[in-house]
Amino acid sequence: MATRVRSFWRTPPGKIAWLAICLGSIVVLLGAWWYLTRPGGGISPLFLPPPDEVLDAFVRLLSRPYLGSTLGQHIAASLEVVMTGWLAAGLVGLPLGIAMGWWRKARWVAFPIFQVLRPVPPLAWIPLAIVWLGIGESARVFVVFIAAIVPWVMNSMQAVYSIDALLVSAALTLGANDRQILTRVVCRTALPTLVAGARISLGNAWTTLVAAELLAATSGLGYIALNASRTLEIGILLVAMAIIGVLGALFSVIMQLVTRIVAPWSRANAEGA
Amino acid sequence: MTTTKAHGPTAKMDIRGVSKTFDTRAGAVHALDRCDLAIREGEFVVVVGPSGCGKSTLMMIAAGLEAPSTGQILVDGKPAGPAGPQRTVVFQRFALFPSETVAQNIAFGLRVAGVDRAERARRVTEQLEFMRLSQFRDAYPHELSGGMQQRVAIARALVVRPEILLMDEPFGALDAQTRTVLQEEVARLSREMNYTVMFITHSVEEAVYLGDRVVVMSSRPGRIKKEIAIPRDAGWRRLDIEEASSEPGFIELKREIWALIRTEIVRQ
Ligand SMILES: Nc1ncnc2c1ncn2[C@@H]1O[C@H](COP(=O)(O)OP(=O)(O)O)[C@@H](O)[C@H]1O
Ligand SMILES: [Mg+2]
Repeated sequence: MATRVRSFWRTPPGKIAWLAICLGSIVVLLGAWWYLTRPGGGISPLFLPPPDEVLDAFVRLLSRPYLGSTLGQHIAASLEVVMTGWLAAGLVGLPLGIAMGWWRKARWVAFPIFQVLRPVPPLAWIPLAIVWLGIGESARVFVVFIAAIVPWVMNSMQAVYSIDALLVSAALTLGANDRQILTRVVCRTALPTLVAGARISLGNAWTTLVAAELLAATSGLGYIALNASRTLEIGILLVAMAIIGVLGALFSVIMQLVTRIVAPWSRANAEGA
Repeated sequence: MTTTKAHGPTAKMDIRGVSKTFDTRAGAVHALDRCDLAIREGEFVVVVGPSGCGKSTLMMIAAGLEAPSTGQILVDGKPAGPAGPQRTVVFQRFALFPSETVAQNIAFGLRVAGVDRAERARRVTEQLEFMRLSQFRDAYPHELSGGMQQRVAIARALVVRPEILLMDEPFGALDAQTRTVLQEEVARLSREMNYTVMFITHSVEEAVYLGDRVVVMSSRPGRIKKEIAIPRDAGWRRLDIEEASSEPGFIELKREIWALIRTEIVRQ
């Protein structure tokens, strides 16, 4: 330890240093953006407006309706679809994945189906969804459902399947029956991995929703982005993209928080967020 | 559990003509060949043998976690049936439930048996004290050292009052100092509570120190090669393992057992 100084990149930072580094990187990015887009800065504001113009666009979106709805209503529309599709997928995918991880025969029956489904990009379902359900909310919920159910099932299956068999042996010798082993040992031990699956699923659902709104929507963040690009309102386009990014990141953080609450014993929680 | 040793005709656990063949992709693996071993009530039997000779397999079969290819396991003269709290197991890898605290881990067997809350709490507390774990009752397994985790696993196996305690190299994953402490702890346990134990190890020293009887297995396919009784009143029983291992009688037994194992290793 004393003989070699650890490099800056490998030293774990304190809370304040961590915050300073995070803020620093954002400030540098904004600075570079502002510098390049200032008058005579090399990038035309038609391609990339300066930061203050994007902020203006944001304030405008907040105060006045855009494309028939306020920004809040657009966000709510997106959230409603993503939550409906994701939760419905979880209602089916979580128990199905657990069953596939626990019972070999369930795996034999259902796994091939999901192996075929997995490589089909969720967006490839949009044309079919439009034919079946029209350009409406249900088409988008359907596409989100498809995008979310594959990771729900696959990760839940993997979480249960990869439980240490020795834990099951230990439970058996202590007198637990199959049901007690499944609920008290397997599902509880798998909980952090199950939540991780839910998180991946939510991430998938979110990106797919935004893409679906580009094609089949009358409101929502993706719909704003599409229209703004048609009318060359790059500021509004960037605001929509930023909100999509921030909300996506927020979901991820919330799901990590959920792990910490439902599985306070999980080792993964001990390491960074 | 009684404190007098039963020398009756029926053993507490009787391993009768147990063979085991695994079908693997590379062909059949004969792990065990007609093993016979009777363990009396209150007896501490240690099984030693070269690595890979089938010790763990024998224990899994004794626990009811694995089915024998031939032969059977009797407990009190009756077929033992599937795994259950009659024969609890302490594994080398602890196998604690990571989502449960120390107290919850220990309570597991009582909970699944439907023991009521008050009785459960009483017995868990008693067991925590007995294994000197009281201050860790609310810790999670990953917060404990290996030695502490293995204490919890032992407590969890004992709290359900098994007829037989099976231990498969329980100290194999521990560092030397922790191992010594736990060896002495288990010696104390078996002295005070007179448990019936089948204990597997590859440490001859551990075998002589803990055992009433040491069973040497041959290399694969594992057979019972020789049984060596350790006098109950041996002088080193009261000593710690460091002192015990320099007693002449101890050294003599150790040498004898080592010679048996060595020929098996060479034979492989
Ligand atoms: N589930 C299994 N499938 C196939 N072979 C096994 C299995 N379990 C053990 N074996 C084989 O049986 C032999 C005995 O193994 P084991 O009982 O673990 O030995 P020990 O505990 O004495 O080291 C080894 O050759 C091992 O590879
Ligand atoms: Mg072994």
